[in-house]
Amino acid sequence: MDKLTETVLSILAGSKVTLEIFIFTLAMSLPLGFFVALLRLSGIRPLAILMDVYIWIMRGSPLMLQLLFVYFALPMIGVRFSDIAAALLAFTLNYAAYFAEIFRAGIQSIPRGQYEAAKTLGLTYSQTMRRIILPQMIHRTLPPISNETINLVKDTSLIYILAMNDLLRVARTIVQRDFDMTAFFIAGAFYLVMTAVLTAIFKRMEAHYGKYDE
Amino acid sequence: MENTTNNAAYMLRVRDIHKSFQDNEVLKGISLDVCRGEVLSIIGPSGSGKSTLLRCLNRLETIDKGSIEVKGEFLVENDDSGCAAYAPTEKARALLGCMGMVFQQFNLFPHMTVLENLMEAPMQVKKQTREEIQPAAEELLRKVGLYEKRDAYPSRLSGGQQQRVAIARALAMRPDIMLFDEPTSALDPELTVEVLKTMRELAAEHMTMVVVTHEMTFARDVSNHVIFMADGVIVEQGRPSDLFGNPKEERTRMFLGNMVK
Repeated sequence: MDKLTETVLSILAGSKVTLEIFIFTLAMSLPLGFFVALLRLSGIRPLAILMDVYIWIMRGSPLMLQLLFVYFALPMIGVRFSDIAAALLAFTLNYAAYFAEIFRAGIQSIPRGQYEAAKTLGLTYSQTMRRIILPQMIHRTLPPISNETINLVKDTSLIYILAMNDLLRVARTIVQRDFDMTAFFIAGAFYLVMTAVLTAIFKRMEAHYGKYDE
Repeated sequence: MENTTNNAAYMLRVRDIHKSFQDNEVLKGISLDVCRGEVLSIIGPSGSGKSTLLRCLNRLETIDKGSIEVKGEFLVENDDSGCAAYAPTEKARALLGCMGMVFQQFNLFPHMTVLENLMEAPMQVKKQTREEIQPAAEELLRKVGLYEKRDAYPSRLSGGQQQRVAIARALAMRPDIMLFDEPTSALDPELTVEVLKTMRELAAEHMTMVVVTHEMTFARDVSNHVIFMADGVIVEQGRPSDLFGNPKEERTRMFLGNMVK
């Protein structure tokens, strides 16, 4: 009994690391991704091409490799980060690329007529984006954003290679020490609870933003 | 020299405008005048350039050559090299603000209620408060017969109702000229009636209107002046009774003959 409590508490401590990575990555990659999408659609060719290359590299190579690169390769040229900063940098850059593509598709899916109606009513470009395009874009992109967000919860487990004690690494350490699988089940339950909470949050947001199309 | 007070009676003066998409010249020198309170209908086969002409009037398309005067001031005129040069941003904004537009596809904002659709531009563009604009917006909804739908989202409305909301939304900005781009073409026949009725009421209130339409009855009964366009030029124009009753050009006769059948 005591041992089970101890296991749960250790895993709980590991969850804190997992959640930190998750929350900070999300908070930084969503705005960054949106900014990248705007640059990608800016019509300024060099910028658009640069963003294409960035997205290609981030989506086209393993996240694991990107983590290793930030953590091991950059220090060789004198760029050094703390463990958590390295993890956040790699995760943010990677997820921003995925979010950028989702936002780009979302913005492009809004019919031209919406821009034209706004223009003939006298709205400026920034008013049109803020008041007309973005609210509709958020509604349309919530399902794929929800998908990526749930992926992020699970991808945080990759930081075990940076020797950070996240949820999964703590569980594995306990299993290897005690030859008892319980910790794996508990870890699994923790992930499931986190993703269930996220799913519920996104469902509510979809209902909120989708109240106009039935 | 033209007299400025004379010019002010013209809401729109369009002179020799040209517009090409790549190598395809869609407007080949169009000139027209619209006086205050006048209803101008533009008819013609699809591909004749009539919608493009309308979209050029409020700069949804930019013209290559020619001039457009709104209420006596140039929105665009030829520069020394003979290319169209638009007025500076602020002036252009003011002139474009004189025009409201109604689209074939309504283009209501789907994430806003009917009332919010009407109030959005006055609040954002004219910086009016909700309290200032709401009574006027509700009055416009009463006028188009949709006051009871003010809190509904556009997806809950029929096409005809959506188009009437779109008309009210454009009117909420208090335009001097209303442009209609085939306002009933996306509607089932039984729904066009209610939209045409709203437009007739507007005309009766002496709103200046430019209407691109396939509704020959509307063009004949409501407008003061009709333009028949084909292949980017004005083939024939005149009072509706003349153009419909006694068309001079073979091209016009053929078109009208096909429409009546």
